[in-house]
Amino acid sequence: MNLFIDFVTPIFLTISILILIVAYLVWLERKVAAKMQSRIGPYLVGKPHGLLQPLADALKLMLKDDSSPKNSDRLLFNFGPIWVMVVSLASFALLPFVFENQMIKTNLALMLFIAISSLIIVGIFIAGWSSNNKFALISVIRIIAQIISYEIPLIISLLIPCIIIGSLGFIEIINYQQTTWFIFYPVIGQIAFILFFISSLAEGNRIPFDLSEAESELVSGYTTEYSGIKFALFYLAEYVHLFGISVLGSIIFLGGPSGIFFTSNFLIVFKALLLFTIVLFVRWSFFRIRIDQLLKFNWNNLIPISFVLLLISCLLKYYMDLVI
Amino acid sequence: MKLKKIFQNIIRNLKFTMSNITKGSTTINYPDEKRDFPDKLRIGTFGLTVDKDSGEENCIACKLCERICPSNIIDIEIEKRDGRGFAKNFFLDLQSCIQCELCVQICPVDAIIMMKVPAEPVTLRSDLYLNKSKMMSNAKLYKESWARGSLLQESHKPIIKESK
Amino acid sequence: MENKIIEKDFGDLALNMGPQHPSTHGVFRLKLHLEGEKINRVESYLGYLHRGVEKLTENLDYDMIPPVLERDDYLSPTSNSLGFINTIEEMCNIEVPKRASYLRVLIAELQRISSHLVALGTYGLDLGGALGGGASLFLYCFREREKILDVLEVITGTRFHTNMNQVGGVRYDVNDESLNKIKDLINYLKPKLNEYYNVISNDEIFMKRTKNIGIITKELVMSSGGSGPVARGSGINYDIRKNNSYEIYDELSFEIPIGKNGDSYDRTMVRMRETIESIKIIEQILEKLPEGALCSRKPLKSAKLLKPPKGSHYKAIESPRGELGFFIVSDGTSMPYRMKIRAPSFSNLSIVEKLLPETYIADAVVILGSLDPVFGDVDR
Repeated sequence: MNLFIDFVTPIFLTISILILIVAYLVWLERKVAAKMQSRIGPYLVGKPHGLLQPLADALKLMLKDDSSPKNSDRLLFNFGPIWVMVVSLASFALLPFVFENQMIKTNLALMLFIAISSLIIVGIFIAGWSSNNKFALISVIRIIAQIISYEIPLIISLLIPCIIIGSLGFIEIINYQQTTWFIFYPVIGQIAFILFFISSLAEGNRIPFDLSEAESELVSGYTTEYSGIKFALFYLAEYVHLFGISVLGSIIFLGGPSGIFFTSNFLIVFKALLLFTIVLFVRWSFFRIRIDQLLKFNWNNLIPISFVLLLISCLLKYYMDLVI
Repeated sequence: MKLKKIFQNIIRNLKFTMSNITKGSTTINYPDEKRDFPDKLRIGTFGLTVDKDSGEENCIACKLCERICPSNIIDIEIEKRDGRGFAKNFFLDLQSCIQCELCVQICPVDAIIMMKVPAEPVTLRSDLYLNKSKMMSNAKLYKESWARGSLLQESHKPIIKESK
Repeated sequence: MENKIIEKDFGDLALNMGPQHPSTHGVFRLKLHLEGEKINRVESYLGYLHRGVEKLTENLDYDMIPPVLERDDYLSPTSNSLGFINTIEEMCNIEVPKRASYLRVLIAELQRISSHLVALGTYGLDLGGALGGGASLFLYCFREREKILDVLEVITGTRFHTNMNQVGGVRYDVNDESLNKIKDLINYLKPKLNEYYNVISNDEIFMKRTKNIGIITKELVMSSGGSGPVARGSGINYDIRKNNSYEIYDELSFEIPIGKNGDSYDRTMVRMRETIESIKIIEQILEKLPEGALCSRKPLKSAKLLKPPKGSHYKAIESPRGELGFFIVSDGTSMPYRMKIRAPSFSNLSIVEKLLPETYIADAVVILGSLDPVFGDVDR
């Protein structure tokens, strides 16, 4: 019984807090977008600021009709959104998000996080393929190429702090940054942060790398045939994944729980929200890039820069170890 | 350098959209706030006027407005009494009106005018098919627009210059 | 059992950008035959918005036609009625007073700015998506356009289909209050349009998406009858306002922007620079507006009094889409025998079948948006 409580309570607590935060991230996005376009965002539900809008949306999506197209593969059609949501939530087991340490205590937390969150693409592929729709097929072809290509700069830009700090676990990374954050490291910190930011935009399917859900050409991409609670699962899973990458970025680059005046675990969430707001500003200001320009940008520009930076940081660490 | 130019373009683009955050919103929340309508507004319903002194109807059923309407929405029946014509029935189908104001412009006695109110929502289609009593009560209910037949035709007179 | 690999050629993938689609600018069906992401060939189907305007006018008198014709090209309505009225006035030798001519040009230029703003806003929607950067550009352009429509409402009474023109002159007059509102509008619009031109012409992703896409050569333009910004983007120096001038355009001084390469970037830049030139025209009109009559015919008593002589006549004006022409055949009565409208969007749209092969799907949307078709004009 004790084992059961020890096992279930952290999972239940994390998932409920996470879903609540993500539902209000949707509210935040609509409000910020409205302010940038000189209009009011959600207003009527919960009168002055529209704070009850996420609950109204969730209720509406739950009451919609639950159907699948005639010639689609029923089992896989219903399975796709479940996979995407479960894997996105499972990757939060490795982040020190609510508690002092992460739920799975290991030294290789960074690598496991990247490995688990790379499985999301399988769910998207299942969803797009089983819809039996040409628009979904084209969108899924594009998204597979995009996500596989952009994993390389993401992993390398996350490896650079680990090489200089010397470990892959989050505890040592947080201890190293108690005086200065990694983003203030002379040249390597800023370039690594920019590489991480750009590849996390591409991993999370945000504008300017948004072609899979390109509403102007392919009517809504791989989610064309979905409605109701399945669409809500896709929508929330995208925000969960993006929030997870923001928390990762705030731990590795922005110092995690260490702040200017005090040290606390709430600062992780605060810095993650800051990164998320910068992603929102980028989303509502730029157009989107075509698929072949996107792939050329990756293989011609991002990967050479990241490999050169990796080499420089390895040499730097070697000479620092020699001297010290 | 090319990289510096790209960086400058990105920053200019971000400044362009983010500078809108401090300016207010331009929405008018319709049922609570309304905007003020100009004088010449012609997007609403019609009204049949009465003479100010005697209280008689102005319309003499000359059928000029029926002939000039491009959409053929007006339907008049004449009735003669007291030495002048009266309109026994005056039907106007508001669903097909294209709001061109040609009927107002051509009326010689200023009988038909447009009212300065947007068209009201109704629940039955037969409410949009106006008859004479509805149009006469419209003229008393709502405010009137600027345009009258005599005003428009007065402004269209070609000014004849006196030869010096 | 031997393992055989059976290869079967299924041909192209046929994708239907059907009549309802978020990015074709109206009702238009385009059938793409794809091979991977490249387009092999294209079939297009028109006619979803055909309303029979040309046949409808055979039963209407000449004074009743302009309000009906304004619904033809619904993004710049006064250019339709202006072209029709110019044709009738040349057939019947009616002279228009100076003040009326100035007011006609004022309303026409205001609607040119509003039409180009719609073209730019919806182009942003095509490039950036309804949830993304394109929506910001769309809402900014429509916010400026609302101010123009408010000024039009003060002058004439409706925001859009203004019915300002009648045969012989103009219907409504401006007084001092309207003139002050137009001056405030110009002072508000001028820095904004310049800022939009600066930001968009230097936008990194915009240049990457539109440069060298959809290059139209001069021979293709001339063989298919393109006109307007489509022709001027390819370097052809032809604008009816200068070459074959009507109304009072020969008393005003303005420039014609011309592009160099003929790609989508040049066409959009030509449209944006045209709006800046239109503001210069409106400023000159506000200075030079003379006093005088509004109409040179007697006030309207009956529509049956206007009977042009027997014969036919053609006249074209410059609408925001290109050369809009009217060919009227009259047989002496008060209703036209036949009226044919030369629609600019129809000839511009016929270039699409030659441009689209050998490009990507994403480029198809960009090219279609830069040609700026309006389907009320294509199908009439």
